[in-house]
Amino acid sequence: VSKCQGDKLEGQNPCPRQPIQGLMKGDKLEEQGPGPEPTAPQQPTEEEEALIEFHRSYRELFQFFCNNTTIHGAIRLVCSQHNRMKTAFWAVLWLCTFGMMYWQFGLLFGEYFSYPVSLNINLNSDKLVFPAVTVCTLNPYRYTEIKADLEELDRITEQTLFDLYKYNSSNTVVARPRGRRDLRDTLPHPLQRLQVPPPSHGARRARSATSGMRDNNPQVDWKDWKIGFQLCNQNKTDCFYQTYSSGVDAVREWYRFHYINILSRLSDTLPPLEEDLLGNFIFACRFNQVSCNEANYSHFHHPVYGNCYTFNDKNNSNLWMSSMPGINNGLSLMLRTEQNDFIPLLSTVTGARVMVHGQDEPAFMDDGGFNIRPGVETSISMRKEALDRLGGNYGDCTENGSDVPVKNLYRSKYTQQVCIHSCFQESMIEQCGCAYIFYPRPQGVEYCDYRKHNSWGYCYYKLQVDFASDRLGCFTKCRKPCSVTSYELSAGYSRWPSVTSQEWVFQMLSRQNNYTVNNKRDGVAKLNIFFKELNYKTYSESPSVTMVTLLSNLGSQWSLWFGSSVLSVVEMAELIFDLLGITFLMLLRRFRSHYWSPGRGGRGAQEVASTPPSSFPSRFCPQPTSPSLSQPGPAPLPALAAPPPAYATLGPCLSPAGSAGPSSSACPLEEC
Amino acid sequence: MAPGEKIKAKIKKNLPVTGPQAPTIKELMQWYCLNTNTHGCRRIVVSRGRLRRLLWIGFTLTAVALIFWQCALLVFSFYTVSVTIKVHFQKLDFPAVTICNINPYKYSVVRPLLADLEQETKEALKSLYGLSEIQSRKRREAESWSSAWDDTRPKFLRLVPLLFFDEEEKDKARDFVTGRKRKVSGSIIPKASEVVQVQESRQVVGFQLCSNDTSDCATYTFSSGVNAIQEWYKLHYMNIMAQVPLEKKINMSYSAEELLVTCFFDGVSCDARNFTLFHHPMYGNCYTFNKGDNATILSTSMGGSEYGLQVILYINEEEYNPFLVSSSGAKVIIHRQDEYPFIEDVGTEIETAMATSIGMHLTESFKLSEPYSQCTEDGSEVPVRNIYNAAYSLQICLHSCFQAKMVEKCGCAQYSQPLPPAANYCNYQQHPNWMYCYYQLHQAFVQEELGCQAVCREACSFKEWTLTTSLAQWPSVVSEKWLLPVLTWDQSRQINKKLNKTDLAKLLIFYKDLNQRSIMENPANSIEMLLSNFGGQLGLWMSCSVVCVIEIIEVFFIDFFSIIARRQWQKAKEWWALRQAPPCPEAPPSPRGQDNPALDIDDDLPTFTSALRLPPAPGAQVPGTPPPRYNTLRLERAFSTQLSDTQLPGEP
Repeated sequence: VSKCQGDKLEGQNPCPRQPIQGLMKGDKLEEQGPGPEPTAPQQPTEEEEALIEFHRSYRELFQFFCNNTTIHGAIRLVCSQHNRMKTAFWAVLWLCTFGMMYWQFGLLFGEYFSYPVSLNINLNSDKLVFPAVTVCTLNPYRYTEIKADLEELDRITEQTLFDLYKYNSSNTVVARPRGRRDLRDTLPHPLQRLQVPPPSHGARRARSATSGMRDNNPQVDWKDWKIGFQLCNQNKTDCFYQTYSSGVDAVREWYRFHYINILSRLSDTLPPLEEDLLGNFIFACRFNQVSCNEANYSHFHHPVYGNCYTFNDKNNSNLWMSSMPGINNGLSLMLRTEQNDFIPLLSTVTGARVMVHGQDEPAFMDDGGFNIRPGVETSISMRKEALDRLGGNYGDCTENGSDVPVKNLYRSKYTQQVCIHSCFQESMIEQCGCAYIFYPRPQGVEYCDYRKHNSWGYCYYKLQVDFASDRLGCFTKCRKPCSVTSYELSAGYSRWPSVTSQEWVFQMLSRQNNYTVNNKRDGVAKLNIFFKELNYKTYSESPSVTMVTLLSNLGSQWSLWFGSSVLSVVEMAELIFDLLGITFLMLLRRFRSHYWSPGRGGRGAQEVASTPPSSFPSRFCPQPTSPSLSQPGPAPLPALAAPPPAYATLGPCLSPAGSAGPSSSACPLEEC
Repeated sequence: MAPGEKIKAKIKKNLPVTGPQAPTIKELMQWYCLNTNTHGCRRIVVSRGRLRRLLWIGFTLTAVALIFWQCALLVFSFYTVSVTIKVHFQKLDFPAVTICNINPYKYSVVRPLLADLEQETKEALKSLYGLSEIQSRKRREAESWSSAWDDTRPKFLRLVPLLFFDEEEKDKARDFVTGRKRKVSGSIIPKASEVVQVQESRQVVGFQLCSNDTSDCATYTFSSGVNAIQEWYKLHYMNIMAQVPLEKKINMSYSAEELLVTCFFDGVSCDARNFTLFHHPMYGNCYTFNKGDNATILSTSMGGSEYGLQVILYINEEEYNPFLVSSSGAKVIIHRQDEYPFIEDVGTEIETAMATSIGMHLTESFKLSEPYSQCTEDGSEVPVRNIYNAAYSLQICLHSCFQAKMVEKCGCAQYSQPLPPAANYCNYQQHPNWMYCYYQLHQAFVQEELGCQAVCREACSFKEWTLTTSLAQWPSVVSEKWLLPVLTWDQSRQINKKLNKTDLAKLLIFYKDLNQRSIMENPANSIEMLLSNFGGQLGLWMSCSVVCVIEIIEVFFIDFFSIIARRQWQKAKEWWALRQAPPCPEAPPSPRGQDNPALDIDDDLPTFTSALRLPPAPGAQVPGTPPPRYNTLRLERAFSTQLSDTQLPGEP
């Protein structure tokens, strides 16, 4: 049974068995044939086409859909209604492919939303910006200048050394007999010899939670002694011992602890640092064979590492660039490494400390330094590496630290170290009420000193344990920066100056700097820093599944299983929209026909029917509406001109196909 | 009829070429939209309602635009690379190791050549800084020279005088030889115009270099006198050594037997014969281990210091040139066998009286060349002639480029780099102003004004050895008691002095492990991937395929234009007919055609039938008669109307 395919375009598929149709066409042809403009008759139909039209019945709608849809399986499923077997078969197939497709879609979306990244390694070779180089003297203050402040501490330290180790310093202080009582009164937290705690606390820094340690326990062997000092909280209810296995460590740490206190007391009163001391530390400086000038360096003071000079930092007016690798195209420094003015108990290392870092990163000399031996030319070759992480959904990193809940105390770019130090300082201020001297302090907070904050030592060491085990949450709070530049260093050493050249070199240096070098190699050091190669690797992350590939994968799957496209989905949406629209109209119509008077209802129905001026189906698959419909325009004219008996014969055209409810319900409505 | 004509006629008969069937563009579009497989188009024509139609046109165009956009993204990201890192564990080839003494020539041998220079340097030191002679022996020699000094004015200081500059009066300089002040012409730009004010004396040292006609001068000042003297010395030293023939220079330098006291490789003893001589202009005789001369490259079977290269070097500090080099030790560089050792740039220094352990880790990198990146495989496409006898590298290119510019601009070659063909090294007998020229050129090179950095490209594949250096005091106090006498006895043929601790340096070079890391770039996309992505995009948005694309091309580019052409042609014909026969508008007595597609005749593209004016096909119907088979005809037809000019002949 061939259906009425009236919804095809005019002339394309007219109802095949209607001779009247042919006549109609013939009429048309006769009308149009001689016309020079063949499309002329279509023009008016387009003009009279309404803004939006609805199909008159569900049946019509489905027929239209089945004839024009582009979804492959759907055609077979919906449009082969007369063969139940086929419909069932196609339903199964359709469900299978549908399932397959959505399974694949799920996999694809799952992959995309897990935000996988792929690591790319780019090997670049470029002109490179020379990194900032910080060189420190390893001695915070000239001993002669700070001696007055440290005198008491030194005296007590020597006394303690004598007490504990019978070390007789040449200093005359020890010679004066002094009772231990006096010492205890002068400085808190004295160094004590302690019995080794049970082996379960065998760590280097064993802490015993209670103050139950007794001072002198005579029967124990020397080996089992540890040395340390006691730290207590505010009201002396909780105390512990900070102990060390080595006496050297203990003395140094203890001395450092007291030194911090003295420094924080003195930090405001200390004599202003002599900026022009550069000449006393750096004899010669050259970059790229050109002498450095004032603008090339800046100075800061580190409480332990002393005077530090940063070359080529962000204040440098024009940054140094390396366009060639090699020792001649780098920074070359001659340093003075004499240690006659060193603080004896604090500075146990001689030489200088150098660090290579990015321009806008602070120099954490503790974290990444390189010591330089005196009497040696140290050549440090660098290789640059850059790492770019993807932020956002792809990874946990921060672009500039603004979204990290830690206030940056340094006036510099965000790095993880900066954040961790700021975080520690924050917790320190919060829990101990004072700022640790090695980190910058925010406005209005003073540095820790046991004269003002008598339990800060207890607090600090407790906090450090918490910090190390990340109970403070600093390591989770501080996120990685998204782009990191690092410099891989390797060093070579040679003796400098050589035996044959040392005379004139020393003479020259001493002459030029008005300063006597004692003709010893220990007084000088040379440092070269240069790029080993200008090739550098950039590790960068990139999304391994981008939106484009996701879409094209979806499209591939879709085409594979369905052969449909996004536009097919729009077709489906249109179908649903049409269904809703028709249902609404029909409900409206039924409502009117039920609750209005028959005459008025009829008119209402007519009005409704005419609201969708579906001239299209009426023209091709003629329906018995034309006379009653108030359709203007020439489009229905051929139909009107056609012999009227055709209507009767046209009826069966629809009825065998349209056995379903909607159409049959629609037709009588319009007829009445 | 010629056979050619016959064949043509036959072809015309069997394969008739007709133009597009649609009479107008509108019909063509409609026909296309109804029949194409591309989604969306059909809806445009079958939808009812202007809004719906507009929406569908919008949807379809959006889909087309999206396809274009996404495909453009795919094409632009085609040349991306993905990187694979492989770690092999295998027997590794040992790299070439080049070892140099920092001091190039034995000072006792080279001294006669440099005697004048040394004398003048000492004089300069003396008058500049008031240095007294340090050793009595030297003083005696100096006295003997200073007698000669009075006779002739010093040539080196005359050529390039060392000058004092006062901070206060920058344009005045004091020539220390004559003592008189002289006006410094030109500018004090290049080396350091602003000087670190280190010295209290506020005096800086420098030298002045002038071009040929001495009108253009540049003064180079140094913040430290040590650097000034060394630079000045080096300048003259290069002048002198440039005139010494190579054989003589090799003889003046250290021999392999002298430099290498002991040698062990992979647990087996080796000696000077395993080393290849390589003469470096600034470092003298260098020796390359495992150069691969006789096509055998040594390899290590195990990692660790026991299985690497162990050498003890003899560094005689007594023989050091006091002004040229101020540090003592050796330099070592690890490189590929076919690579040039840039010892002056990237060598690692070895200290005397120390055992230096260098652990290596091998990384190989392979880059993809054009069009993925700008790297070059062998440097053949780089417009710089490789003057080194080694494989291409970026550094070789830069040095070659500089040397080429030097020869071009200054007329002679710089001493520390190899000699290009048809050039000779600079010396001030032949090229009096080369120094000025060199300094200017070097300045320009560093500031990238020579264009070398732009021309040179990086190499596509390179091996690099990541080095970890560690030091230990050597020999230990207890072992030095037996070690030094044994070594002294061993080396008694070459060295006739008792070896000291500071004369020796121990060097160990070994693979830390035998893992070789290869970083390889691979194309991230292939043509198949691109096509399948294209297919995905086309399918996703419009369910289109290549056939659709061809269809679109056919319809929109061929049929479209042929329809336009036909209409123009028709109009022109009408116009012509009107002009020819104004009274008879029905100009062509052409009979009416009927709708048989087989008999369609285009004016522009005549078929065989129309060409021969054959009678119409028997199936042609007379209009007006009742058409019983009308619908069958209709089904074959694509278009409702027939063009007036394509009607069948012979119709009344």
